[in-house]
Formats: sequence, C-alpha cells, structure tokens
Amino acid sequence: MGEALRGSIEAADLTMIYRSGRVEVPALREINLRVGPGEFVAIMGPSGCGKSTLLHLLGGLARPTSGQVLIDGTDIARLTDAERTTVRREKVGYIFQRFNLLPNISAKANIELAKRIHGNGHTNLYKDDHILALLGIKEKIGFRPTELSGGEQQRVAIARAVINQPSILLADEPTGNLDSHNSRLVLTLLQDLNQRLGQTIVMITHDSEAASMANHVIEMRDGQILARTHHFVYEPEFEGLF
Amino acid sequence: MTHSLVAANILSRPTRTLISILAVGTGVILILIIGGITTGTLNDYLNRTMSVGADFILQPSGSSVFYAFSSAALPIKLADKLRQTPGVGAVAPVLAKFSSADFGLVFGIDLATYDRFPGRLEILQGRDSLQGDEVIVDDLYAKSNKVAPGTTMEILGRKFTVSGVCRRGSVVRVFVPLATLQQMNGTEDKVTIMFIKAVPGADVESVFQNLRRTYPGLALVRTSDPSLLLADTRMPGLKEFRMTVVTVSMLISFMVILLAMYTTIFERTREIGILKSMGASKAFIVGLILRESVIISFLGIAFGVGASLIIRKLITSAFPTLQVDMTFLEVLRGSLLGLLGGTLGALYPAYKAARMDPVQALTYE
Repeated sequence: MGEALRGSIEAADLTMIYRSGRVEVPALREINLRVGPGEFVAIMGPSGCGKSTLLHLLGGLARPTSGQVLIDGTDIARLTDAERTTVRREKVGYIFQRFNLLPNISAKANIELAKRIHGNGHTNLYKDDHILALLGIKEKIGFRPTELSGGEQQRVAIARAVINQPSILLADEPTGNLDSHNSRLVLTLLQDLNQRLGQTIVMITHDSEAASMANHVIEMRDGQILARTHHFVYEPEFEGLF
Repeated sequence: MTHSLVAANILSRPTRTLISILAVGTGVILILIIGGITTGTLNDYLNRTMSVGADFILQPSGSSVFYAFSSAALPIKLADKLRQTPGVGAVAPVLAKFSSADFGLVFGIDLATYDRFPGRLEILQGRDSLQGDEVIVDDLYAKSNKVAPGTTMEILGRKFTVSGVCRRGSVVRVFVPLATLQQMNGTEDKVTIMFIKAVPGADVESVFQNLRRTYPGLALVRTSDPSLLLADTRMPGLKEFRMTVVTVSMLISFMVILLAMYTTIFERTREIGILKSMGASKAFIVGLILRESVIISFLGIAFGVGASLIIRKLITSAFPTLQVDMTFLEVLRGSLLGLLGGTLGALYPAYKAARMDPVQALTYE
C-alpha cells in the first residue's frame, strides 16, 4: 500500500438493506463515492436518507449488503469482524453528535483509553499536550464528562478521536448538540486538524454553515447521492434546506 | 488506563458490587466452614482413634471409621479367640452408639481391658470406676455440659452418674460400662469393634497378616498412620456431601456474578458500542468484563476468608467439642473455587458483550 493512499476512502456500488422479518428496507442504493487523502467532505441530506448508515459502512462498523468499501485500497467489506476492528483501530477516528464519552471516567482517562486500545507502540507526531492545547481542554482534562459543558465534551471527544492520529476522521453531526458558539469552535478545530494533520474528514451535518467548512459537499436523498459540490458556499438563506 | 475504567465500573453500582462480593464470600464461607467441620470431625476421630494406642481395629466387613454407622455385629466371644492368636497382646471389645443429644459417640467398654492400652483413661477427677449406671466423661465434655463426679446425667434415655472425669484426647468423650450399653441396645453378646494391641516387640505387620488370614470375613484396619486408617475405612456419603457443598457454593458465586454482569452488560450497551467504534477487539472487551469479575471475586474471597475465621472462632467457643479445620490448603482451595465460580459466571456476559453489533450498541437507548 503506497503512502499516497493513506486516508483514501472509496465506495463502489455500496448497497445496504435492513431486513425486519420479511420486510426489506433499503438504506443505501448503489452508492459510488471517492474521498481522497486529506480531503474534508461534508455529507448533507434529510433525516433517514442514509447518511449515518454510509458513515458506519465507511468506518467498518457495519458490513454492506453488497458493494465495496475501500480504505487505503483494502476492501473492508470483505474483511472479517476482527480485521475490520483492526482497520477501525488503526485508521479511523469517530466523533459523534452525542459525544459518546465514557461517563464514569475522567476526560483524560477517556483519551488514554483510546491510546490503550490502539496500542502503546504508536508514536504521535504531535505530543498529547499539543493536541490538548490545540483543542483548549488542557485545564479540563481531570474532569468527568458530566462536569464539562457540551462544547468541552465534544472537544474531549475530538481529542480522543485524533490522539492516535488516524488517517480518517468520521464525524456524525459533531455540532448537532452544540450552541452556535461551540459549533463554530468545533468546526474551526476540525478544519484546523484537517489542515495541520492532513487527516481525511467525512462529516455528516444538517448545518449549511458547517458544510461550508468542507472542501466538498455530498448531497444525499433516499439512500442515493444526488450531487457532489465543490467549495460549498454558505448562504444564510439556504439554512434549513437540508 | 483500563484499570481506572474497571475500577470506575465497579464503583458505579456500589450496591450491586456489594451484593456480588457478599455472594462470592458466602460461597467461600460455605466451603471453608462446612468443609472445615467435616475435615475437623474426621481428623478428630482419626486422631482420637489413634490415641487408644491399638495397632489394629477389627470391625465387621464394610464398616466405617465412624463407628456410629456400624451395627453391633461382632460376637463378644471373638475377643477371647483373638487373645489366643499368636502376637496379640490385648483386645478391648467396644460397643459404640451415637447419641443424637450430644451429637457424639458413646463407648461401652470394659474398663479393665480398655486400660491395658497405652491410651487408657487418665482420670483427673473422681474414681477410675465404670460399673452399672456409671459414666466417665472427658474434661471438655464435663466443662461444656457442666457435669462433675457425682452428677446425674441422661445418656441415650437412661440416667447415669458421673464416676470420673478423664483427660481429653480419648477416642470418644463419653464411656459407659459395656454390659450396660449392650443391655440398653438389646445386643448382650455383641460389640461394634475390637481394639487390638500386638505384644511388645512383635512384628506388627506379621501379626496383621496373620489376623487377616485367620479372619478373612472381617475388616482389619491398621491404626499406625491416619492416611492408612482413612484409606482402609469407608466413610459413607462424606465425599458426596463435600462435593455437594462445593457445587452449591460455586453455583452461588457463578449465578450471582452471572446475573450482576449480565445486567451490567445491558446497562453498558452503549459504552460497549463506543469501545467498539474506537477499535476495541473482542478480547479487549472480554478482558474488561472478566477483570471486573475477578476483582469482585477477590474482594468476595477476602471477605469470605475473614468471615470464616471469625465464624470458626465463634463455633469453637460455642461448641468446644466441635473441631473446625481450616488449613492454608483448605483456604487456598476455597479461594480458588470462589474465583472459578465468579470467573465462569462472567464468561457468558463477556462473550455476549464482545459479540454485540457496534451500530446497534451505539444507538441503544
């Protein structure tokens, strides 16, 4: 695998059908998508259009009904559970709308846990302190998630996602539970991380302003990609369109 | 860092953790105390049997070292025949009866023949006499039952007068005249066992082989070594009883940990999804759950061992005649069984957690 492929994502004819008894519910229909290394892509679309399902498949959390998901050239749809777990551990960092920090341990322990799961052999290009300083949570690291504000929790979650320097960051509505001030802060951080660390970012959002931070915007509807827009320009009047 | 997660998870539900610790501890207590009482009782019997100073015990075939389980089936006339066997120095015929009131044995002996053995009764108080309705008890029995020479007491439904108090360490704690006990039992010419002593200087092994050849239909047991005595003697149901106690104890630990961990897994479904999204392997998740159960099991074991030591002290204070043996090996065995029960109980929940679908786990409310 060449260095140039680090952080590349490709989906080919990706189809996901959920089955409930005899009823089949198609969530994704033959999606074709390519995200290059270091790109920042936003996915927009109405609720239930398959955005989260697509993100789960791209990160190897689920296996598609058919089609391919290539991470750095490897089709993870064909891998076993254990192999997909390894890909996720080594190459993917997740950021969720609900932060998903472990509530019983401190922010620091949450971040350290990610390092532990990854394995102690990894060397960060940037020291932990640097990342914490960049995210502005150095002083809050000893607190439990319940003692932090929403914005602080999401920054801890971002720190946890990037601490092992994965080549791919998948963010599922990272600003969905934040006020406008914290949303802007988190988006700026993601953009900054993308530019400084060169991580590929795929972000689901309903927020047009958030989407405008990305290099490309993918519009989805009914399990299909409608369009891919280069350099989405935020216009306040578009707000609420998606 | 996983240590802090494990510790935080244990502390997040203190009541459940406490109940799990108590359950594992209860299992350990059952193993140590009930095991200790059975081992103690057995060892006590063996030691006291050896204290008679006999070289052999002759019993009907298929009898037990717990003489209470044996019937009076040996003819008393056999004692005279045995005395005439070359190499045999002394023979003491004994009728043993179990007294449910004292939960102990009563020996009917002929004091004159019994006193010819090295373990003869050493009288501390009263007279060295055992006739008619007289009874000799050991000092521990006298102390626990508050009796002294001259006291009248009921044994097996008949009134006896304490004639003497002997030093503890004899084969049983209560001795009555053989003829009296035979009459009470309705077996005037029968006894349960015969203690046999070889003549001084005789080759004990040849005497043993000779007696075996002469009385092939009877059980002849050597008393020279407790393990030999134990090996040569049948203990009906003891092994099964101990196995039952161990199984029940392990089941308690197993089921409580299983239930506690199972509910834990459901409560932490989302957390497991988060760990999986971070790339935690199945082994990592299984390890987390098992570590939690191992810590709870160790705390339960510590509680169980501590409580068992206290209970043993209380039992031996309340019932001085009861022996509770708790050796290091017994404690180790009880601890390992507690740990095994706890760990096995966590295996299924751990397996279930490891197999959770990450997407479903992440969306679990």
